[in-house]
Amino acid sequence: MITFFLVLLQSGNEYNGGAVVAMVGKDCVAIASDKRFGLELLTLATDFEKIFKMNDKCYIGLAGLATDVQTLSEELKLKCDLYKLREEREITPKKFAHLVSSTLYDHRWGPYFCEPCIAGLDENNKPFICSTDLIGCINFAKDFVVCGTTARELYGICESFWEPDLGPEELFEVISQSLLNAFDRDSKSGWGAVVHIITPEKIITRHLKTRQD
Amino acid sequence: MSDRYSFSLTTFSPSGKLVQIEYALNAVKQGVTSIGIKATNGVVIATEKKSPSTLVDETTVEKISLITNDIGIVYSGMGPDARVLVGKARKAAQKYKRIYNENPPVNMLVKDVALIMQEYTQSGGVRPFGVSLLIAGYDSNGPSLYQVDPSGSYWPWKATAIGKNMISAKTFLEKRYTESLELEDAVHTAILTLKEGYEGQMTENTVEIGICQMEEIVDTRGNTVTVPRFNKLTPSEVKDYLANIA
Amino acid sequence: MEVLLGIQGKDFVLVASDALAITSIVAMKRNHNKTRKLNDNVLLMFSGEGGDSVQFCEFIQRNVQLNGIRRGYPLSTKAAANFTRVELAESLRSRHPYQVNLLIAGCDPDTGVPELYWMDYLASLKKLPFAVQGYGQYFCNSTMDRYYRPDMNLEEAKALMKKCINELKVRFIINFSDFVFQVVDKDGIKEIKLE
Repeated sequence: MITFFLVLLQSGNEYNGGAVVAMVGKDCVAIASDKRFGLELLTLATDFEKIFKMNDKCYIGLAGLATDVQTLSEELKLKCDLYKLREEREITPKKFAHLVSSTLYDHRWGPYFCEPCIAGLDENNKPFICSTDLIGCINFAKDFVVCGTTARELYGICESFWEPDLGPEELFEVISQSLLNAFDRDSKSGWGAVVHIITPEKIITRHLKTRQD
Repeated sequence: MSDRYSFSLTTFSPSGKLVQIEYALNAVKQGVTSIGIKATNGVVIATEKKSPSTLVDETTVEKISLITNDIGIVYSGMGPDARVLVGKARKAAQKYKRIYNENPPVNMLVKDVALIMQEYTQSGGVRPFGVSLLIAGYDSNGPSLYQVDPSGSYWPWKATAIGKNMISAKTFLEKRYTESLELEDAVHTAILTLKEGYEGQMTENTVEIGICQMEEIVDTRGNTVTVPRFNKLTPSEVKDYLANIA
Repeated sequence: MEVLLGIQGKDFVLVASDALAITSIVAMKRNHNKTRKLNDNVLLMFSGEGGDSVQFCEFIQRNVQLNGIRRGYPLSTKAAANFTRVELAESLRSRHPYQVNLLIAGCDPDTGVPELYWMDYLASLKKLPFAVQGYGQYFCNSTMDRYYRPDMNLEEAKALMKKCINELKVRFIINFSDFVFQVVDKDGIKEIKLE
């Protein structure tokens, strides 16, 4: 058990690989991930999506250890569904971010090895994005957030591609180009991508074919 | 032994009633009257402070309690029971804030408190609370006022009264209440309603009033923001209101 | 050093498990069964720490059975796989996690739709068209990538399986003298010979 955690503390986030990025646009937000599922450098599947819908206006992307991505996404969906039944309203992205944060911190001494990116529109359709670390420290951002094994590459390329007040289609182009070009430099991410654009009226979901190597 | 066997005191009578709950309601009926009125721009709750003796330092007696910055509770019935509930309500509110970093909306806090009160009608080794509560607060749905009874049932009200004079007070409120009532007038109405059944002289030290409304505050970043706040009126503020009525 | 293989065909799943029980450098047994029937149409295959894997799989087997008795109808492959995942994920954070890698093959008795799930000891669950567990992954995934088609019939799947086994015989240091081959289809689970 101790060996298990020591190994994971060093490499838990890098064992399966993956990349997630979220961006703010004008009255819209975008969140995208790669589709690879692997064991270190061995690729096992190319249809492993890491973005989960909590409600019509709130999505979460989880990069990290696949088992924890699955467990955490199920736990968070359960909490959101119970919240909706209890309070008879949908959870706002900001409240959801704090729910994620407290959920992760509940496991402070045996953490889930994943880093979430949250994207959504609040009750006034104002864009909201944030990311947290694996024990729930929230990073609020006005522009973009990134996580996963491709985080470093994503930071650089998002920094140069992103600009304020992008419309849904422009934002789609920026987030797609950022993600694709970033994970081409990362052997643990890639093999296809999925992009969700959340607007007040609708959600646009697009699957991208990318380099398969 | 008590760990293994613990029966609820509240059991059905042959006629299908839970008499323990009815007894608890009787305790409430003997309690001091409390009033609550919802206005267009806020809520007011008010009650009397009865001292058994003139020797009691009534400035330390508090019957209206803050649960969060924007929710307050007043009770009729047994003071010690109410304090236990206030403690539990505050803890429930903090638990909510620990998870969501926001104060609970009024209806959620009311549900939590009602759930606790219901538990005490079904659990072993306990008795129901001898209090009814008026919970006043302000959230994204605007101002709201709830009553919670010992059974755990709760209702939202525009205006209501609990305790000794509740029936006559409610009749009075029915005549006075209008949909367009503003907070200032609601405070007056609340005092007048209390005065109806009041025995003796009403002073700033024998009436307690709490109001909840939007307020401008300066946040931690130095920005002025409008947020709901529940405040208890100071004796001097109460004195001004009483002077206006007389 | 164990190998589990699975190929999902048109209306069946063909699986193979090596029959070698190893302790340290000794081959203890050459007819070891590394599978458990969860119900008539779902097969669980395991590799990993000896005691752990048998203990865990029989625990899962009995609970899936119990579930079928309680509800009056058998658990679907998907439900059985997710149930297994939750149990393994819970065990992962316990003082002594089960060290077991699994393949779950099943076929819906009514619709005949086959399903194959892959799961490692960390409880990462993935539905795959073909799957390999253990060191065999490094030898057989590429062979399967090259020759697999989703509409394969049993004969074609057998031929592919032979290719994979042959690859192991040629390149893997361990000599697996025997494999157990099973087919899961809508009629149930049966052992077959590859020839």
